[in-house]
Amino acid sequence: MWLWFSKLGSPRWFYELSGKWLPWLYAAMALLLLVGLTWALLFVPEDYQQGHTIRIMYVHVPVASISLACFPLMAIAGAITLVWKMKLADMVAKCVAPIGLWFTGLALATGAIWGEPIWGTWWAWDARLTSMLIQFFLFVGVIALRSAIESPDAAAKACAVLAIVGAINVPIIKYSVEWWNTLHQPASNFSMESTAPNPPEIWVPLVIMIVAVYLLFVISLLLRTRNEILTRERRSQWVTDLIARSQV
Amino acid sequence: MSIAPSPEVSTWGAFVATLRRDLLVAFKRRNDLLNPIMFFLIVVTLFPLGVSPDPLELTRISAGVVWVSALLASMLSLDNLYRADYEDGSLEQLLLSPQPLFFLVLAKNIAHWLISGLPVVVLSPLLAYMLYLPEEAYWTLVLTLLIGTPVLSLFGSIGVALTVGLGSRGLILAVIVLPLTMPVLIIGAKAVTDVMFGLPVGSHFALLGAMLAVALSIAPLASAAALRISVN
Repeated sequence: MWLWFSKLGSPRWFYELSGKWLPWLYAAMALLLLVGLTWALLFVPEDYQQGHTIRIMYVHVPVASISLACFPLMAIAGAITLVWKMKLADMVAKCVAPIGLWFTGLALATGAIWGEPIWGTWWAWDARLTSMLIQFFLFVGVIALRSAIESPDAAAKACAVLAIVGAINVPIIKYSVEWWNTLHQPASNFSMESTAPNPPEIWVPLVIMIVAVYLLFVISLLLRTRNEILTRERRSQWVTDLIARSQV
Repeated sequence: MSIAPSPEVSTWGAFVATLRRDLLVAFKRRNDLLNPIMFFLIVVTLFPLGVSPDPLELTRISAGVVWVSALLASMLSLDNLYRADYEDGSLEQLLLSPQPLFFLVLAKNIAHWLISGLPVVVLSPLLAYMLYLPEEAYWTLVLTLLIGTPVLSLFGSIGVALTVGLGSRGLILAVIVLPLTMPVLIIGAKAVTDVMFGLPVGSHFALLGAMLAVALSIAPLASAAALRISVN
C-alpha cells in the first residue's frame, strides 16, 4: 500500500501511467458522449410540462454535479500536499482549480439557459444559484492566490490552506443560502423511494451523460496535470529524453 | 514592546502580552484607529445617496446596508493585522516564540476586533436610526453584529496571513475573504430583517453563535499555518 502510495507520488510514474490510460478514456468518452447526446437530444420523450427544454437537463445536471466535486477534490489534494508534501497532489490541486471554475461557470450558464423558458428569468437569487455563484468566487480566490505568490512551494501550501478552509465553508454556505431563499427544485431524480419514479428512458441517458462528462473532466484534469508535470520537471533527465524522442 | 521568548512565560501571559501590545500599537496611531470607523460611516452614507432618501425604502434595506458596511469596514482594516509586524520583523519573533501560535494569533485577532469591530457595533444604532430601522430591531442588530463581527475578524485573519508576504496584495485579500464571510452576512442581516417582520430569531442567534464557536476554534489554526507558510 505504501509502496503504491509513494509510487503514485512520483510525477514520472504518473505521467507514463496516465499516458497509457488516455486512449481508453478518450474512446470511452467519445462512445458515451455520442450515445448519450444522441439519445438525450433526439429520442428522449418530451416532458409534459417543459417540452423540449427538458433536454438541457442532460448537460446541466452532469456539469453541475462535477463542479460540486471539484472543491472537495482540491481540498483533499491540498491536505495531501500539506501532510505528505507530495508534489503530484499539488499539481492536481493546481490543475483542478481552473477546471472547477469552468464547470461552475458552465453550470451557471446552462442553468440560466434552462431557467429562462421555465422560470421566465435568466437569473434569480435562489439558493442553489447563489451558492454556485459563491463557489465560483471561491475558485477565483484560489486561482488569484496561486498566481499572486511567486514561490511555487509557498503557493502550493497557501492554496492548500485556502482550499481546506473553503471546503469547510462550502456546506455552511450551502445551508445558509438554502435557508435564506429557495426556488430551485430539489435533486430528486435518483431517489428510489420517490413516489413517482422517473421512467428509465428519462434517467438512463442522464446516467450515460453524467459518466461521459465525468470522463471529460478526468481527461482534462489528466491533460492539464501532464502538462504541469512536464513544465515542473523540465530539467529532469526523463523529460529531456522524452522531448528528444518526440522530436525524432 | 517586544515579547521575550522565554520559557517562563505562561501561555496566558503571552496571550495577554500580545493583546496588550497590539492595542498599545493601535492607540499610538490614532488615525489608523479612526479610519475603519470613518469608512463604515461613509459607506453607509453612500446608500441613501445612491438608492433613495425615501424612509420606506431605506427601512427595507437598512439591516443589509449596516451589515454590508460592517463587513467592508472589517475588510479594510484587516491589512493592519500582520502587515506592520511582518515588515518590522516582529512577526518572525512571534513565530519563533515557544508559545503555541494558536493563542498568539487569537490574541491578535481579538485585538483587531476590539479596534475595528467593536466601534462598528457601538456606532450601529446611530446609523440604524439614520436609515429608519424600526426601533424593535435595534437590539437584534447590535447583538448580531456583536456575535458576527468577531467571525469576520477571524476569517479575515486567514486571508491576511496568506497574503502578508506578497508585494502587491491590492484586491486579492477581498477576493479571497469576502466569499468566506457570506454566510455570516446572510444570517446576520436576515435576523434583523426577520425581527422587523415580527418573526422569531432564536435560530439565527444559535447559528451565528455556532459560527463564532467554529471560527474561534478553527480559524486561528488556519491563520497560524498560513503565517508559517507566508513568513518562511
